[in-house]
Amino acid sequence: EVGKMKGECFRPLGRYDFLDLGEVEENTQRAQLCRTIKRFIIDPALAKLVTHHLGPDLEESKAVIFECNPGPGVLTRTLLNSGAQRVVTLEGEKSFLPDLQALECLLDGQLEVVHCDFFKLDPMGRGSMRPPAMYTDKLFTDLGISEANWTDEVPVKVVGILPQRIERSQLWKLLYVLFDRLSIYRYGRVELNMFISEKEYLKLMAKPGDMLNYRAFGALWQMACHIELLHKEPWASFVTSSKYKLAIPKSRLPNDNLCLVRMTPRKDLFSASLTPSNAATLVMMVKQCLAKRKARLVDRLNMWSPDSGPKLLKEMGMQEDVLTGHVYPEEYKQLFELVDKSQEFTQSWLYEEVLENTQKEGWI
Amino acid sequence: MHKIPHSYVDYFIIFSLPFLFAVLKARIQQLQSDVIVDVQHEKVQFVKASKSGIGASSGNSPKNVFGERTEVPKAGQTISKGGGQTGKGEGKDASASKSRWMEKLSQEKKTKTKKLKQKLGLEDKPVKSSKGKLMLPGTSHKTISTKAGIKTASTVKKSKTLKNQEHTMAASKHEHTMAAAPVAAANVPIRKAKGKGKASKEPAPELSEARNRAEEMERKAEAKAQELAEVEELERKLNQWAVSARPELVQDNSEARVYGDVQRSVRCYLEACVFCGDIDRAHRFLLGHHRMVSRRNLLNIGLYNIMMRVWAKKGSLNQIGRMFILIEEAGLKPNLGSYCAALECMGRNPDFNMCQVLRQMEEDGLPVDELFSHCVFRQDERDMVLRAIHTVQPDFQSSINTILQTCSSPLVKDFYTERADAKYPKMAFSLEELQERFSRQLSIEQASTITIHSVEAMKPCCLFQRDLLAVQRLVWHKALVGALREGKIILASSTQKAVRLSLYPYLCLLDEKDYVDIMIQSLSNLPPSGESLHILAKELGNRVHNMFCIRMKGHNQMVDKLSHIYNEYAELLAKDSKFDVLPRERWWKLEAEHSSGPSLLGDETHWPHMVVVELGTYLVDLMVKHMKVNSDILNSAYDRKLIPVLYHMYTFRSNKQVGFIKPHPILTQMQQDAMDTTLTFDSYVMPMLCPPVPWTSAKFGAYLLTPTKMMRAVEGANQHEILLEKCQDADLHAVLDSLNQLGNAAWRINQPLLDIIISIFNDKGSEKLDVPPPNSEAPKIPRYNQQDSATFTSAEKAHLKREVVNAKKKCSEMHSLRMDALYKLSIANHMRDEVFWFPHNMDFRGRTYPCPPYFNHLGSDVTRAVLVFAEGKPLGPGGLEWLKIHLVNLTGLKKRSSLAGRLEYANSIMDDILDSADNPLIGKKWWQNADEPWQTLACCMEIANAVRSPDPTHFISHFPVHQDGSCNGLQHYAALGRDVIGATSVNLIPCEVPQDVYSGVAQQVEEFRVRDAEKGLKIAQVLEGFISRKVVKQTVMTVVYGVTRYGGRLQIEKRLKEIDDFPKEYVWDASHYLVHQVFSSLKEMFTGTREIQDWLTESARLISKSGSTVEWVTPLGLPIIQPYHRSRTQMVRVNYLSLQITHDSKERPDTVKQKNAFPPNFIHSLDSTHMMLTALYCYSAGLTFVSVHDCFWTHAITVDTMNKVCREQFVALHSQPILQELSNFLLKKYLDSTALPMNLSLSLSHVCKECTNIHLLGSLLLWTLSHPVYAMYLLSLQTLFRPLDFFHVLRYVSLILK
Repeated sequence: EVGKMKGECFRPLGRYDFLDLGEVEENTQRAQLCRTIKRFIIDPALAKLVTHHLGPDLEESKAVIFECNPGPGVLTRTLLNSGAQRVVTLEGEKSFLPDLQALECLLDGQLEVVHCDFFKLDPMGRGSMRPPAMYTDKLFTDLGISEANWTDEVPVKVVGILPQRIERSQLWKLLYVLFDRLSIYRYGRVELNMFISEKEYLKLMAKPGDMLNYRAFGALWQMACHIELLHKEPWASFVTSSKYKLAIPKSRLPNDNLCLVRMTPRKDLFSASLTPSNAATLVMMVKQCLAKRKARLVDRLNMWSPDSGPKLLKEMGMQEDVLTGHVYPEEYKQLFELVDKSQEFTQSWLYEEVLENTQKEGWI
Repeated sequence: MHKIPHSYVDYFIIFSLPFLFAVLKARIQQLQSDVIVDVQHEKVQFVKASKSGIGASSGNSPKNVFGERTEVPKAGQTISKGGGQTGKGEGKDASASKSRWMEKLSQEKKTKTKKLKQKLGLEDKPVKSSKGKLMLPGTSHKTISTKAGIKTASTVKKSKTLKNQEHTMAASKHEHTMAAAPVAAANVPIRKAKGKGKASKEPAPELSEARNRAEEMERKAEAKAQELAEVEELERKLNQWAVSARPELVQDNSEARVYGDVQRSVRCYLEACVFCGDIDRAHRFLLGHHRMVSRRNLLNIGLYNIMMRVWAKKGSLNQIGRMFILIEEAGLKPNLGSYCAALECMGRNPDFNMCQVLRQMEEDGLPVDELFSHCVFRQDERDMVLRAIHTVQPDFQSSINTILQTCSSPLVKDFYTERADAKYPKMAFSLEELQERFSRQLSIEQASTITIHSVEAMKPCCLFQRDLLAVQRLVWHKALVGALREGKIILASSTQKAVRLSLYPYLCLLDEKDYVDIMIQSLSNLPPSGESLHILAKELGNRVHNMFCIRMKGHNQMVDKLSHIYNEYAELLAKDSKFDVLPRERWWKLEAEHSSGPSLLGDETHWPHMVVVELGTYLVDLMVKHMKVNSDILNSAYDRKLIPVLYHMYTFRSNKQVGFIKPHPILTQMQQDAMDTTLTFDSYVMPMLCPPVPWTSAKFGAYLLTPTKMMRAVEGANQHEILLEKCQDADLHAVLDSLNQLGNAAWRINQPLLDIIISIFNDKGSEKLDVPPPNSEAPKIPRYNQQDSATFTSAEKAHLKREVVNAKKKCSEMHSLRMDALYKLSIANHMRDEVFWFPHNMDFRGRTYPCPPYFNHLGSDVTRAVLVFAEGKPLGPGGLEWLKIHLVNLTGLKKRSSLAGRLEYANSIMDDILDSADNPLIGKKWWQNADEPWQTLACCMEIANAVRSPDPTHFISHFPVHQDGSCNGLQHYAALGRDVIGATSVNLIPCEVPQDVYSGVAQQVEEFRVRDAEKGLKIAQVLEGFISRKVVKQTVMTVVYGVTRYGGRLQIEKRLKEIDDFPKEYVWDASHYLVHQVFSSLKEMFTGTREIQDWLTESARLISKSGSTVEWVTPLGLPIIQPYHRSRTQMVRVNYLSLQITHDSKERPDTVKQKNAFPPNFIHSLDSTHMMLTALYCYSAGLTFVSVHDCFWTHAITVDTMNKVCREQFVALHSQPILQELSNFLLKKYLDSTALPMNLSLSLSHVCKECTNIHLLGSLLLWTLSHPVYAMYLLSLQTLFRPLDFFHVLRYVSLILK
């Protein structure tokens, strides 16, 4: 097919040759044949828009682009067409591989195809490790990407659609590995450009004072990343592989769109007092605090180290009766840094606590 | 054919249906036209007539208008409500309102459900019922002034005086708005004043109005077909409502349950108030409810009776009179309990004349005799009632019905009728011994907790730490007592006038000290990793409840009577007993003989789960807030600060946050250092020191004082209790008797073995021998700090993290295993010189369990090994051989050998056996490699002792020999499906060599594999040489209990991974392939099984889809209901703690669970029936018999007899048309009650008919079972005729035999 497209498979394509995206009809059909339930970008205009947001200087950027589950490869070709230097497609579905591999051999190293599901990286279970499940270090070593400093420029941009069923747990998993600097974040500040449901986005961005939606989940993401909403696209614009329409989860929050969200880890996330080794305690602390948003912060602190609450709050310049749901993510970070410095907390059980595996999907 | 023995079923069908229809029709009509207001008297009577049908059946005089009305308080409410709407709908266009009636109905339904959902005391806005308030003082004033309180009661009861009529009328109209009522009255121009103008004040005038509207409806009959469908839907709904209106006939629809729940919480609240002497509060509470119409409708007569009883005790006739008025107002009808209280009160004031009360009772159709057979008496109540009656009828004697009915099941007919040959086992104790044991047990239970020595070796160095902890405990004790006292004051004042349920009375039941003891005791059981708030709260709440129940029994003065009866009862069991009756019968008789004094049967209600949890949470809250310790207590280097020892925090389980209580590391450290030498348990944790009280009804038996449920249930589910209560007593006899027999088996400790186990336990434990090692052997939790972390690569860090998590998990697992073993061994050690008993109860499928939770014969290999029968019997001629065979069975070897083969094997290894017995820890340790090492060792010792005795046949053995069922589930399926090949492979049909179904399946799978391998299937080739019995066993075993392909694959995957040589990369494919093959082999081998399973599943699906819960009755008459419902969460909030409980039984059934669980549960229920039958017939043969589900134990000498009984009872059980009866029962229950929509009922009846086909296969199998000689012959025939019908085979056989 790809061969037919240009009729000259003997010569590697140059980077300025234009790739045909194929017929929308045909691509739709192919996407729908996929055995697992997924959404795909088929519409060329949408692909173009996503590419645009990954830019603007795709040709200049040194960051490798990881495309998750490209399917028929519309976005892949669009990315290549706009001059992306290095695209790695991580395709979990075997049936899409031959076509992508054919494209790979046509090109001169701009495209690498790996049988891998980004969302099954570093599984927790003890099951057999067969593609598409994979360890990150194998993936990155194979691709020749080495570990980088946290403050270096973004080494990898990931683009994809978070699978609807595991959306929340995936985001948690990524959050844990981010704070621990494990998995993909060993290789630097990997930037995510993900389509997530609107409701999840709104929860992610919930502000203090919104007692219903401001939770540890959003607070920690906001603390760790610079989050940008790039684009909202109605659900209907995506092609679903299921025979039945994938039901859009109901929510008290608006949920009419998929949101393209960019999550860039903050350069200054880690400091002298917050390091990947004690970040787990920070995560723990925030989760405990925000389990009940209407609890008083001072009570929580006193629980960990009696009488230290008022002192800490004073140091933070906060009111003594401040509720946990009114504290900003950055303030939690500062608070933790104070806690960590304070001698009084060394006896606290807060440090004894190890977060047990919270998700079926696993993390660590 | 054996008739369905459940009278409630018949009762329901015969009596309730016409009534329901009548109500329903009237209601529809009434709703259809709500403009024309008219009264037609005949119509009222029509409704009444159908009602009185029920009235009569439940013992009401049909004459009593009030009785009838009050019988259906709910319907009454619905009606009057409709009436209110009628008033409002006045003046609207008729046709418009006609089209609105559906809407109204749905509206009504909505408000109704909303109302029902309101929790008592939470959302309810007090409805001002000025009328009720006005009226109450008025009436009571009058009655009080009439000096003779008795008069009050009877006047009110006569209920024909105008005054009273008006009262009730007013009450019934409570829901009319003040404005609407007169308007409605004014708009009745054509009223036929047939009923003295009071007709309008008939209980349900609207019903009659409805009748005329029917004509209008007829005119529009052709209206819309769609409407008809709606009516049908409505019919169903209304049916349900109408049913719920009858509290004594609680059906399993949701509303009735809501009512039951509300009534239960109110009852418990009142009882708690009364118990702690806070009569004022109880009275206020009841009145508060009574005054709000919305709440009054939730009350039942029993709740008023509680207060009556209190006033009776005080001898306050005025108050009793008032209560009768209240009952009247509430539209209820006094029952035996109410009259009982009235009489009691008069008994205390003997000057009054009680003729009228008695007359009134008679009028109400309540014979005086029934007072004594139906009421529960406390303290001196019975004597007072008698005294009252004697003033009128000086020669009155309460005649107690001494005729015992027998169980109607044909399976136990012989057991109960042919007793001439029965030799019920006696115990080897004298009467005095038993009585002495009883008094010891009684004092233990009265103390409600028991402290025993821990077997953990004492460390000499920990004395200081022990003192430290003791001092701390005193400090905490003091702090908690203070806090509790303060908390109570706050609670008492804050709920002074509110109607809402408060915790206050529940905190006054015991002394403050007792609550605090309970709290501090719970601290020592708290695992270092913490416990979820819910579990902790539940434990605390239940402990308070237990202690309360025990105190209550003391308070009711029933302990003396219990001692008295028990001491006589013990004669039956003693060695020189002259009685030959069953324990239950004897007890029953004794109770009848000693009728004076309080009743033994406690009538206290189990607290609703919500109350238990709320109370527990309150106590946890106190603990978290007030238990503190100095931070420098263990390490003086730390700054001194008062820190709490418990923390409330959250853990997160797949996005759910769970409240968790954790001990501070300091506390854990202190407890570990102190190494408590004693353990404190609730008294019911220990086995009993005397034979348990026999179960004489579903509510009475087991422990002496500790409350025990006969049927264990999921928390919050009380459907089982309701079902059991509805059961006729006689129908449960067989079940009760088998529980009694299991509980009467006496045990003692195998001391030499216990000593060996304890020595290993106190050394380092042994994972191989299942003796958990101490915490010191646990892996150290790796720690890493920031300094080190720089040197680690991130991969190492990730690895380290995983290690930490794993280590933590391992530690907490080890801790809980260790504690469990510690409890078991300490209890065993405490019992080392005792003879003891395990009282039994059962789960909802009838499987029996010993009540003591830790140490019992159902436990692990270790606990089983230390238990032997207290009674010894000589081995007899075959006993030694059985011991040897038993030994081989315990090793797990020689599964495919015949009994002779096993015996031969045992004889060949006698050296090993004797060596194991003599040098268990230093010898060849042959026993350690057995499947069940400890039991094997115990058996080795027994054999050694026997063979070394002068004459083994006279050797007295206490040793239980086990007989295992071989895959019982499949046995039952094979028998149900009359499937000979299947039956053979599970040893139903005797063969020379015992069949092993697992090997059989493995062999079949291997055949498939060879075939596929030849075809070139890769995975089949890889699997060559790996298919064994072990790989398939678990899956085969669980298939019967509903394991799916998914679960089966996981099981096989696990087995394959255990095989070292098997290439790991093929595990997934291989397990996938194998599970498929196992399923097909089973299909091949057990032809009927699948069909029956499918039938059961499909029936359950249809039933639960229609909104009903699947119920059935075992062949022994035990009613069973599946407790799976969709969960509904309720919040419990106590101060800052809050937790969610998922509450069962109110919601609609969970279709998936109902359907998937029905086949296995049904099979389990058959299994338990078979066990019970075996138990009963073993009992009449004089055997000692205990069971571990499908494994039966007896003495070596009686194994043969037990096997014979077991087989006979299996045949007897399956000679019953079990499937047929099930099908009939389901059809009758779910079709006739019209609970099913049309399409579902059609499919259900279709499905049920299918099962008859299965049965047409005839009695072939049973025939072979009773003629084992022909078994093999038949087997070959069946293979021959396989494609043909089994009938052909049968006919062919009968021809040959002729």
